[in-house]
Amino acid sequence: MTDYISAFSQSGNLFIPRMFQGFPEIKEALISNKMQAAFMVAPMAIALRAQGVPIRIVYLGHRYGSAVVVRKDGPVKTFPDLRGRVIAIPSRFSDERLIVFRALKYFNMKPSELKMVEMAPPDVAGALAASAIDAFSMGEPYPSQAEMAGFGRVLFHARQFWPDYISCVLVVRQDLIDKRPETVQLLVDGIARSGLWLERGRPYREHAADFVGRYYFRQNPALLRWALTNPIDRVMYTPLAPRKDDFNLIRDLMLETGVLDHNIEFEEYIDTTFADGAKYKTAWNYEPGSQRAE
Amino acid sequence: MSDGKRILMGILLWTGVITLAHSALNLNWSVLLNDRLPEDKRKIYVAYIPVT
Repeated sequence: MTDYISAFSQSGNLFIPRMFQGFPEIKEALISNKMQAAFMVAPMAIALRAQGVPIRIVYLGHRYGSAVVVRKDGPVKTFPDLRGRVIAIPSRFSDERLIVFRALKYFNMKPSELKMVEMAPPDVAGALAASAIDAFSMGEPYPSQAEMAGFGRVLFHARQFWPDYISCVLVVRQDLIDKRPETVQLLVDGIARSGLWLERGRPYREHAADFVGRYYFRQNPALLRWALTNPIDRVMYTPLAPRKDDFNLIRDLMLETGVLDHNIEFEEYIDTTFADGAKYKTAWNYEPGSQRAE
Repeated sequence: MSDGKRILMGILLWTGVITLAHSALNLNWSVLLNDRLPEDKRKIYVAYIPVT
């Protein structure tokens, strides 16, 4: 997305996207200023800010798009069947962990009845296939990967227990916000426009799956096509402006589940200036296959 | 040309080829050059992982 914004923004090539395989590495790169912006799970961003790291959440990456997956032919048919079993999560500081807590509460179960292990997202489908874990709670396209390969079954999608679920957010270092706000605005505008473009329908999502899979994620485009279209609202790219109620819920769940040791207010870790600035942006005027976008 | 000179030339040529290949294949010049620009002119690195 960032490369696309760079390529088609009037200001020229401003952003360099860098792929990581896990959130802890992104966190370190952000703290050390090797990365000035990052997509990361919301609770990790909140925790970093609460620890005094000079960053702000400025926008969302997407909505929904996380699921709990079990083996298709395994003994787990319902969530309570996970009692005493191992479930992989991307990080202690992830919404995917919080979904599990929401489900635990719904089924009147205790956290001690499950064993949660942290695992890099690209490893979970293989671990489930090899029966090294009994389930995973992860963002797309890993639930799709397990489904497509035939060994995984979605036990539930995040929205089932969390109607306005959000996972990845765009985090920017405070010094960049202070010194180059117009650059941050350009990035947020581009993400807003890309989100609106993706919501124009199936052909646009299929095209995005093709080029993102080939050139950015290094994944089979068919896998991303599955994740983005099966069904079409499996991952949503609007609305992406941060909303106070959504983040208060995440913060409260973090406090409740012991990954945040003190309260932090929405205004302390979110900067809504750029989302407000992107409010009236329209979708990229770009047709699949074209060499131009406006 | 003496054998010693031939061997020396060979070593220098080999070292040059390996250095060039290393520079072309292993070094990310856009990153190295970007890091040397004044802070307000640098491109912004945006980290992501391959999830939606």
